[in-house]
Amino acid sequence: MIISPALMKDFMAFLRKDKLGLLGLLLVLGFIILGVISPYIVPYPEDAWGLTYNVEKRLQPPSREHLFGTDEYGRDVFSRVVLASRFSLIIAISVVSLSLFIGVTIGLIAGYVGGWFGSILMRVTDMFLAFPPLLLAIAFASVLGRGLENVIIALSLSWWPWYARLTFVQVSSVKTMPYVDAAKVAGISPLGILTRYILPNSLTPVTIQAFLDMGAAVLEAAALSFIGIGVKPPTPEWGLLISEGWILIGKAWWISLFPGMALFITVLGFNLLGDAYREYSNPKIRRLVEAKV
Amino acid sequence: MPASPGYIIRRLITTFIVVLGVITIVFIATRVIPAHPEFLWAGPHATEEQLAEARRILHLDKPLIVQYYYFITSLFKGDLGVSWRTKNPVLEDIKTALPATLELAITGFIIGVSLGLPLGIISALKYGGAVDKLVRVISVSGSAIPVFWIALLFQLIFSIKLGILPGGYRIDPSLAVAYGFKPLTGFYIIDTLVTGHIDLFFDVLRRLLMPALVVSIYPLCLTARMSRALALETLQEDYIRNLRSWGVPDDVIARRYLLKAITPPLIASLGLSFGYTLIGAFIIEVVFSWNGLGMYAVLSLLSFDYPAVIGSIMVVAIFYTMINLIVDIMHAYVDPRVKL
Repeated sequence: MIISPALMKDFMAFLRKDKLGLLGLLLVLGFIILGVISPYIVPYPEDAWGLTYNVEKRLQPPSREHLFGTDEYGRDVFSRVVLASRFSLIIAISVVSLSLFIGVTIGLIAGYVGGWFGSILMRVTDMFLAFPPLLLAIAFASVLGRGLENVIIALSLSWWPWYARLTFVQVSSVKTMPYVDAAKVAGISPLGILTRYILPNSLTPVTIQAFLDMGAAVLEAAALSFIGIGVKPPTPEWGLLISEGWILIGKAWWISLFPGMALFITVLGFNLLGDAYREYSNPKIRRLVEAKV
Repeated sequence: MPASPGYIIRRLITTFIVVLGVITIVFIATRVIPAHPEFLWAGPHATEEQLAEARRILHLDKPLIVQYYYFITSLFKGDLGVSWRTKNPVLEDIKTALPATLELAITGFIIGVSLGLPLGIISALKYGGAVDKLVRVISVSGSAIPVFWIALLFQLIFSIKLGILPGGYRIDPSLAVAYGFKPLTGFYIIDTLVTGHIDLFFDVLRRLLMPALVVSIYPLCLTARMSRALALETLQEDYIRNLRSWGVPDDVIARRYLLKAITPPLIASLGLSFGYTLIGAFIIEVVFSWNGLGMYAVLSLLSFDYPAVIGSIMVVAIFYTMINLIVDIMHAYVDPRVKL
């Protein structure tokens, strides 16, 4: 178990005092659930997938029939915004797991094996870290071209160094722990030590960080799509939906307004939760929170 | 001796290595990932001979290591190639675009930090109160706002609906022609003041206001959050608790002690955030038709103009690394504990 039930329980108890963090948790859960069920609940599924073109229903303002209005192809904006949660969820989960995989592997090798090989790995990591991640993602996305997979690859390639560094720091400190020495003395093989002691004890911070980073992944993917190097139309994705209403902003504000709001609320959820976790894991500030009843 | 010459030299050497590494990454990204630049160079209807010719001009027929050599040597000569879109040398294009981006990013950054710092400190002093909660909500939600979206909404509200601010461009084109305005430094605020065109100066300022406010959101929220967290930690130090128990007013504590204690770590993280602000400005530029590096890079991206794309990315990366270097040296000056 990477994140122990005890930690979960402790954090939940903390959230009971930190209402903003609790709100964040609810928003995040809402986003995940919506991402899973959205294809089955949208009122106009064909509009949502972008398969339709209804000339007679173009650019209608929000009404009871079309809660968020219609876009320039007469598609129901509400359906598209709701279904977009699914694509954002796919992007977020893929980016985070792919970059976790790369980052943890590299950090683990560098931290546990060490030596010249480890230090080369970390130098390379530092070079990637010298780039602002969004810029690196823009560079990769522009070379790879548009498409859902390419967005995921571009973002992951720009993201793994953070996890590599974090894992490296953790592994370096865990491997000097007395219980690791004890295991060595007891004659447990290096692989056994790695899987039984080092991994479980160094993965927690990086996994939590990765989960909280899902909001940032959603936001950066949207930024890529907005400038035209993200997902391909007609895929419903919040950044792309915002850009579809860009030139029409004076005539049909609803096309851009609602996807932006959905994007904002989702990222806000992750940020609130992340902020609460930061306060929770900072012992000095946590003391303050727990002092107030 | 906190920032000794030795420290600066060591730091310069590592910076050089990092920049070289960055260049290598960009090179690999554009050459190894199968992008087939010769098709873009020769156009969609090129014959096999033309493609071969393109490969020769772009050195694609040589081994990778030779390509890398050409790439690096021309780079050190300051040659970033010619933009396929504008037909100008990429370096020239970047030189004209960079001041626009810096003007926007620096203005936004100054607005953000000067609002965020007091907010964060007040919030920490009033820990748990209504003000603190408000600041926390602002700072967390601010970093969740999609900047390109809020930029669009600002345009909708302030230029389209209310009509009080111009929705784009750095300067009124007809005014600029009427006054015979020629950029000197590329920083229009400075240029219009130096040449004494007060009307133009106010026009430039009005146009700068809305994009700069959007740019300021990120540094504002970050500064507020960082300074709040740092101030909260410092407030629990014994010497501050002592001062408070003696009845020293909060504003005196804030000005004399708190600010002093939180400045070094704040500089370190804010310096890094300037780089982020710069990248944020990139995307905001596109919305406001702001003729800076971001707009240049995005237009080049969309037309597959690789020399221009690589050039702008590289310049920003080098810039970003330089900022980090300067921040580290400044940090070493204000915080004697820092050693390389």
